[in-house]
Amino acid sequence: MSGPLFLQSLILGVLLGGLYALLAAGLTLYFGIMRVVMIAHSAFLILAAYLAWWFNRETGLDPMLSLVVTVPVFFLAGFAMQRLLVSRLKPLTLTMMSVLLTFAIALIIEGALGFIFTGTQRRIQLPYAGDSLDVFGAQVPVVKLVAFVLAAFALLSLYLLLKYTRFGRALRATIQHPEAARLVGIDTDRTAGYGFGLGLATAAIGGTALSLDATIYPSLHWHWIGPLMAIIVVGGLGSIPGAAIAAMLLGISQSLLQIPLGATWAQTVFYVALFATLMFRPQGFFGGRLAQRF
Amino acid sequence: MRNDSERTASAGRTASADLGPALTETVVVAPDAPRRRRRWSRAVSLALLVVGAALVLSFPFIAPNPYILSAGVVILNYAVLSTGWNFMGGFTGYISLGHAAYFGLGAYGTGLIVKYLELPGFVAWVLAALVVVAISVPVGIAALRVRGASFVIVSIAFVLILLLVFQSWREFTGGSEGLIVPRPFPDLLRPEHHRAFFYLFAGLLAAALVAWWVIDRSKFGTALKSIREDEDKARSLGVPTTRYKLIAYVLSALVTGLGGGLYALWFGDLDPIFQFSILIGSYMVLMALLGGVRHLFGPLLGALIVGIALEYFKLEFGDTQFHLVAAGLLLGVVVLFMPDGVIPAVGQLIDRFRPQQTSIRDVSAAELLEQNRRSDASATGAADAREASGEASTRDASDVSDASDPKEVTR
Repeated sequence: MSGPLFLQSLILGVLLGGLYALLAAGLTLYFGIMRVVMIAHSAFLILAAYLAWWFNRETGLDPMLSLVVTVPVFFLAGFAMQRLLVSRLKPLTLTMMSVLLTFAIALIIEGALGFIFTGTQRRIQLPYAGDSLDVFGAQVPVVKLVAFVLAAFALLSLYLLLKYTRFGRALRATIQHPEAARLVGIDTDRTAGYGFGLGLATAAIGGTALSLDATIYPSLHWHWIGPLMAIIVVGGLGSIPGAAIAAMLLGISQSLLQIPLGATWAQTVFYVALFATLMFRPQGFFGGRLAQRF
Repeated sequence: MRNDSERTASAGRTASADLGPALTETVVVAPDAPRRRRRWSRAVSLALLVVGAALVLSFPFIAPNPYILSAGVVILNYAVLSTGWNFMGGFTGYISLGHAAYFGLGAYGTGLIVKYLELPGFVAWVLAALVVVAISVPVGIAALRVRGASFVIVSIAFVLILLLVFQSWREFTGGSEGLIVPRPFPDLLRPEHHRAFFYLFAGLLAAALVAWWVIDRSKFGTALKSIREDEDKARSLGVPTTRYKLIAYVLSALVTGLGGGLYALWFGDLDPIFQFSILIGSYMVLMALLGGVRHLFGPLLGALIVGIALEYFKLEFGDTQFHLVAAGLLLGVVVLFMPDGVIPAVGQLIDRFRPQQTSIRDVSAAELLEQNRRSDASATGAADAREASGEASTRDASDVSDASDPKEVTR
């Protein structure tokens, strides 16, 4: 493998890893809050991508402007979903039943997208789609860079929000110990709802970033949910830093493996990592104590 | 998550003096049910069984046209798959969303053996079933190391991997162009072919149902159900949980794989996207849940309802994606409003018109917890009622508090 080619794959891997990190952070957030595996996360991702594409087609403006609408709408949808649907499930069977419930939501979204926009593959035509930057001989497409910056910015905001604000402290307390959180006066139900909203907001941002340089179609979300779930298991369920690190590592590995193996086989790295994790360290590599029970 | 229920329940018990029965599976209540009624209900279910079997056996002659007959074959196939799924999902409570993997492996195994080894179709079918078993053992060992959410993730990941492999490995599997499986009965006309396979599927379904029934009544089945109710407690009572779960998993894969192989021989044209679709796996779950996972005929009933609905949606809305919306809505409604399925719901309705309850009944840990909580709430008064029911208690049991329990850390 030549130097520039390696460098290019590495850079592309980092850019891809950034997007994975943002999405996996959302997925692991739901798990931390309510032990819910949100299968519909990637369906919302594709929904956001479709909305960005539709916005661009109707108005001709930059698809990133659609974030102004989609992020608040997705936040509210996540809040409503947690309060109205997930919290109705019986606590004993919550984990299993929530998988099925979110699976049902994913099917509804996929079916509705196929019904409204048909199964045709869609792509946004951007004026800067063909541009690329030259970094030490490596060609880095500008759209991928923009998507990465968007994802990185969202991830950083999420981190700062969780780490330094009052709401973030309440959310982390809810994740760590709901009873204790209630004792000190946190409305854990509402906080959990907001947490879900935040998770879906990451899907909105990720979907818009994805729509910039990907061809989208309704059943695309199945190609995303597998890698994302592998990432959160490898990183340790419930751990946001773990998810981010695992996303980066696996994104880079996928990108590097694409050269010798080709695009399809490179995807198997996620599943290989998943099975290896389960065999050797079922609680995940970077996870905290939350993951151990699952 | 089961630990937490236990912890919550025992915490509640120490808090107030009398909270009813302990956390067991079978509770003896009011042992004065007249014997006559039990005999009567047994006669009714026997009669229903005979009528149902007669209906199934005579269906190929009743069916007005080959299309209806082929729809019947599809529904029977769904029933086989869903019953196969229920060996794992119903007994142990481990919900696998990726059982389409074994459906696809059975189908592709049969097709590939016929293609490369040039064996007769039904020999290939049996060999493919052995291959499915050989594959399901290591996968089961890996997947069953984890519980709950992670198990579901692994099951989905497995079917996604297989989809990827069978699509990309073009030279061997034919990739997206599909794989043609020659018909086992080349001299039969199409309706006769459907009829033959209708009976083959019915036979397979009957075998699977008998196996499920035998396990349900055996000590092995009781052990599996104890895993469903409380895995840690079952283990501490000496149930070899890992081995039993693995046996249930492999059995479940075997039945599903046999269903897939028969499908390959019947349909004759395989495509990775359909064989390894998560959708098929989710249909199995939906059918079993809708009918009732704790009942022998639950998956069959669910397959009947969902199968007819799917055929209807395909006829009515054609190639659109509307059937996905319908399946999703149905699954959501089942999960939210009747997670125990149609059979228990109807049973409760009938019970309402009976004078009293039967003598011995199964009470799941979840129901018992609800009961305890309710009696707790009424005992401590209206002030605490809000805390004890509904949303507040959601937190109690879903809370996985901390690493205070050393046993759970090492697991």
